[in-house]
Amino acid sequence: MDIVSFTAADAGPKKVLSALTKAGFAIEGQRPVRRTRLDTFDARLHHAGLRLEMREGPHTELILRGGGPVPAQVPVEVAPRLATDLPAGPLRARVGPLLDVRALMPVLVMGAREATAVRRNNAGKVVAAVRVYTEGTAGPATSLLPLVAEVAPFEGFPAAAEEAVKLLRSLGLSRREGDAIDALAGHVGVDLGGFSGSPSVAMEPSEPATIAFRRVLANLAETIDANWQGTIDDTDSEFLHDLRVAVRRTRSVLSHARGVLPSDGREYFRAEFGWLGEVTTPQRDLDVYLIEWPSYVAPLGAAATELAPVVGHILRRRMAAHVKLVRVLRSARYRAVMTGWRAWIGGAVMLGASAKRAEAPIGGVVAARLAKAQEQLLGKGRAIDAESPAESLHELRKDAKKLRYLLECFGGLLPAGRRKTFVQRLKALQDNLGEHQDTEVHTAQLRALSEELHGEPGMTAEVLVAMGRLTEVFDQRRKEARGVFAERFAAYDTDQTAQALAKLLSSAATS
Amino acid sequence: MKILATYSIKGGVGKTTSAVNLARQAALAGGRVLVWDLDPQGAASFYFRIKPKVKGGSERLVSTKGALSDHIRASDTPGLHVLPADFSLRHLDLHLDGTKRPTERLAARLAGIDDHYDVAILDCPPSISLASESVFGAADALLVPVIPTTLSSRTLQQLSEFLDDRDGAPTLFPYFSMVDGRKRLHREVMATLRSEWPGMLLTPIPSSSIIERMGPERAAVGVYAPSSPAALAFSRLWAEVAARIWP
Repeated sequence: MDIVSFTAADAGPKKVLSALTKAGFAIEGQRPVRRTRLDTFDARLHHAGLRLEMREGPHTELILRGGGPVPAQVPVEVAPRLATDLPAGPLRARVGPLLDVRALMPVLVMGAREATAVRRNNAGKVVAAVRVYTEGTAGPATSLLPLVAEVAPFEGFPAAAEEAVKLLRSLGLSRREGDAIDALAGHVGVDLGGFSGSPSVAMEPSEPATIAFRRVLANLAETIDANWQGTIDDTDSEFLHDLRVAVRRTRSVLSHARGVLPSDGREYFRAEFGWLGEVTTPQRDLDVYLIEWPSYVAPLGAAATELAPVVGHILRRRMAAHVKLVRVLRSARYRAVMTGWRAWIGGAVMLGASAKRAEAPIGGVVAARLAKAQEQLLGKGRAIDAESPAESLHELRKDAKKLRYLLECFGGLLPAGRRKTFVQRLKALQDNLGEHQDTEVHTAQLRALSEELHGEPGMTAEVLVAMGRLTEVFDQRRKEARGVFAERFAAYDTDQTAQALAKLLSSAATS
Repeated sequence: MKILATYSIKGGVGKTTSAVNLARQAALAGGRVLVWDLDPQGAASFYFRIKPKVKGGSERLVSTKGALSDHIRASDTPGLHVLPADFSLRHLDLHLDGTKRPTERLAARLAGIDDHYDVAILDCPPSISLASESVFGAADALLVPVIPTTLSSRTLQQLSEFLDDRDGAPTLFPYFSMVDGRKRLHREVMATLRSEWPGMLLTPIPSSSIIERMGPERAAVGVYAPSSPAALAFSRLWAEVAARIWP
């Protein structure tokens, strides 16, 4: 039996505690407590079957439930925000990789008076515990709570917990699976599943293309809006990342919307989202530097410590970039773009004449766009040889992304299995192109940074030498990625890929 | 799941008190902990107020029938579970001998609950037997309590030599147990052994009447004397162990 809870809008604590006492439970403490469910914006812990809670009573502790029958518990002073704030040890080892760079946020806060009723056996061993919460309030939007009773089973002693469950049922309380916070989430309207941010929306192949495109774009606009506050607050670096990905997907979908959405509005918003992509780039580039820094400098071994002043410079730049970004996201231009955008995709404002393929079935339109995107990708890729400039690989990477975004945003038309098969092939090529592009950019940025920081405090000869070595490491990785490109592209440009795409196209048009 | 075993060839050196107290510290530090009481005397089970009884006995524990988790009980410390002893564990060697690959059997049984716990502490009876070899086959490290006397240090040497010849043998984490700092012999032996065993854990567990009270209290020292030197010693000792198993 897992932890279960019971709620009752009209039962008083006296009635419940008195019944428990009669059933052999002893009331071993009544005190005010505050319980806060912590999770990331996209509910990574919830989706991994874990519940992390900070419990503030006589002591403050983190409690992690799920992933087996045993809860883990560790004292803390303050609520952890990032994985590195968690106490070192097994709890961090379990939670840290799931959080990655994401911050923990309070999802639901419950303040209440807690009475603990405990049943012991003849040896004095606890065999069941019931916690009864009254006078409760819960946030973010504070609301008064009903009485909640939480039954915590003790492994190996199921009878006592089952007896408590029967007793609470007999008192007319309603059973809910999960702990008190799970039971209250529905009551206060909190979705513990977090924000998904999936670009894919449900659609029928026969519905008019214009409606399906607008729905995809509306979903992306929702992702941009959802990530706005976290980006402004700098809660974690994923908010900006997800906002930027939604912006890029929006631009990409708009470019595929030729003939489906009116051209003048399409061009205007493509340009405006291009601007939004550009103005959000400086902070993201610096975020990537900071996130990836340990892996970047790992090949330098002990010499990596010489680069500490460089990290300081990057952090200062990053702070300045964030201040600028906040100004942009609060600017009149940003507000105007997003307000106009929501109105346009909602169909409230139609700029220009209706497009000629607006009413065409979306299945056929997407199949044609996928075929064209693939043709363009193969054409450009086949033209690349050992002498081609790095720019040609960069352009190919953009085309691969466009194809990928199309597959993701219109995933509702494509069977998951067939899509996965094709995406796996595309992803292998994208990984190579990404490695080439990233190392190319990092090499150039490090060279520029060395020149810019030359003469600044802390930039000793040792630091500059270490930066030079790091630049060489990136350049070597770039050469390696460039060296295997032909092989990776050949692995993509095969009959199997063509067949996988053909299956997808037929699904898109007819599913 | 990391598997530790409190082990010594000698009896009465503090294996069970260490298993119980270190397990509690591991749970308080955020670990999901299982204590497997392998000693037929069932002292660890007694301290946790859990009946030393396993349905089907020792034979069931080493057989492939049923899950090990069927026999596990929650302790009163959050995060700490116990697989209780059974008097039939006195025949554990015999039961292991009747299985295929007996020295791998405990490891195989623990593999079934690998995802449920961060650390398992096996509390072993004193001896070198087939059961001990099965413990060595399962454990990542042996927590070896050493009373700072000449005889105890010889025992540690014997154990080390025995394990040296084995592939995949567990690491030894020796530490001083039942230390009386007023005794010159204890101080001298500790100094000698620390130089001979650089891997020795630094925190000594004192000889203390507080620890002896575990019997009447039926609890770990930290439950009834949380600020006592003994409780703090177990806390520090666990911190050292944790730093080694989760560097």
